[in-house]
Amino acid sequence: MTPDTIQSLSWLLIKIFTIVGFGIYALFAGVIVRQEQLMAKVLEEASENFLKVLAFIHLGAALFLLVLAIFIL
Amino acid sequence: MPTLFEASHEESPKAKSAPKGSLREKATSLKAFASYALHPKGLHFETQEKEEEIILFLRQHLIFLIPWLVVGVFLCFVPVVFPFFLSAFPDYFSLSPSYVIVGTIFWYVAVFGFCLTKTIHWYFNIFIVTNERIVDIDFINLLHKEFSEAQVTRIQDISYNTKGLLGTMFNFGDVSIQTAGELPNFIFEGVPKPSEVVEIISDISDGKEVTL
Repeated sequence: MTPDTIQSLSWLLIKIFTIVGFGIYALFAGVIVRQEQLMAKVLEEASENFLKVLAFIHLGAALFLLVLAIFIL
Repeated sequence: MPTLFEASHEESPKAKSAPKGSLREKATSLKAFASYALHPKGLHFETQEKEEEIILFLRQHLIFLIPWLVVGVFLCFVPVVFPFFLSAFPDYFSLSPSYVIVGTIFWYVAVFGFCLTKTIHWYFNIFIVTNERIVDIDFINLLHKEFSEAQVTRIQDISYNTKGLLGTMFNFGDVSIQTAGELPNFIFEGVPKPSEVVEIISDISDGKEVTL
């Protein structure tokens, strides 16, 4: 194998690890949304919608990041 | 012109029966992110029964969120400083711009997620005192919830402590409640106005009308 091939292979591995990592993070963001929903059932309060919105923004950002990584890396 | 509709000036039975200085008279809607509310309106918890009335709602003092927010703000500056650190080792670290962009966005999303989980953890760790029982709902982490309750008639001993400079300045502390038998003891940690909390719970367990 030439050094160029090794380098391109190692970058491919880094890309795969990065995308898998972002995928796991998106799952974590999904867990936060779900957990917020479960917690909101325990305590019904007016300001919980604010946290719900924040949790969804976080999930959206994590998914956006995953898609961005797939396309630009 | 004939009067088609006249608003009733009669007060609701609850408001009418509220004695002066009582908690009902002071009942207010729960403010967003409140950590102390007497007789809050618009609040309901999972196992609340129809006749059960929430008298006191507590969570940790808002000041407990500040260290996490400070850490969050500090972490926001890391991507600004990091390139200067990398530029000291140009031969070892040469990242393509796409990795820099994705890495920076990920950092900010992760910091946001960190602050969000801390806020959710604070927000849903609550203590509720009703006319029938005390309830402690703890979210240890995102996947671990604990729900403890004890009837107010089972309360044996109640005490509080206020520790440190911040606790004294902002009037928050720990309230310990010992219950009879094998029921768990309760510790309301870092709640605002601990002396009032003790007074209210004592009054409820003695069957008195709570006044402040």
